[in-house]
Amino acid sequence: MRAKASGTDRPSNKREIRAWGVIVIRLLFVTPARDSLAGLASALERNDEVELSWAQSGGNALDMVADTHFDLVVTDEFLGDMTGLELAERMLSVNPMINCAAVSKLSSKEFHEASEGLGLLAQLSAVPDKEEAEVLLQRLIDLKRRVADV
Amino acid sequence: MKNGRIAIPSQGNGGLDGERSGHFGHCDVFTLVDVERGEIKKITTLPNQAHDQGGCMVPVNLLANNKVTALIVGGIGLRPLMGFNQVGIQVYHDATRPEIRPVVEDLIAGELPLIQEDQVCGGGRG
Repeated sequence: MRAKASGTDRPSNKREIRAWGVIVIRLLFVTPARDSLAGLASALERNDEVELSWAQSGGNALDMVADTHFDLVVTDEFLGDMTGLELAERMLSVNPMINCAAVSKLSSKEFHEASEGLGLLAQLSAVPDKEEAEVLLQRLIDLKRRVADV
Repeated sequence: MKNGRIAIPSQGNGGLDGERSGHFGHCDVFTLVDVERGEIKKITTLPNQAHDQGGCMVPVNLLANNKVTALIVGGIGLRPLMGFNQVGIQVYHDATRPEIRPVVEDLIAGELPLIQEDQVCGGGRG
């Protein structure tokens, strides 16, 4: 790792950010069709610290989280081979430290009951937007700080 | 249990003669009981941290960083339970007694069961 950057020598792209030792926030988006999560992905990727990967199915996502630590998995509601909530539950056996947010059309109350015990970070709308991206990212950053501070 | 540190989610100020909290993540404090050679050696308390949506790893890391080896709960979600398992903290279950002292004594005597899957909040999903 290189020496810490001075004020006049800031990293200019994500590769340099990693080289300088700046913390990267790794996200995994899980969906069989990227359209519904494209807006959320685009909004999040505007942040230099965010590194985003994609998985097309729940099985693919489980393979990826077994090999790589992600800070947050964002799952679509239906993944073809399982639902998003089923993925959230199965990920707990792989690594319960990974945070998860799930798209769901359920009401808040129904979602709360359906996801009870899974410790999800957020319920997302069917086509999450820039506003949801900002709230989600800030919530994740705050949580990472709190976990690190205890 | 011969040696270790037991954490009990507690109401108010906690302590061995205090009352248990129903949900580990939202307790006021954790009462910590240090056990050596099957005897209680020391009682301390540890303030809990705020627990927002999705923040159940905060108390997991809190207890792990404070060298807890066993946790006694009345109820717990699947994710924090898996988290405690990952960091090496065994989770025991008693859903009936509100007092701290008798469940601690039972754990030390080896008479408190580990939590089962059907006792987990939201566990046993189809």
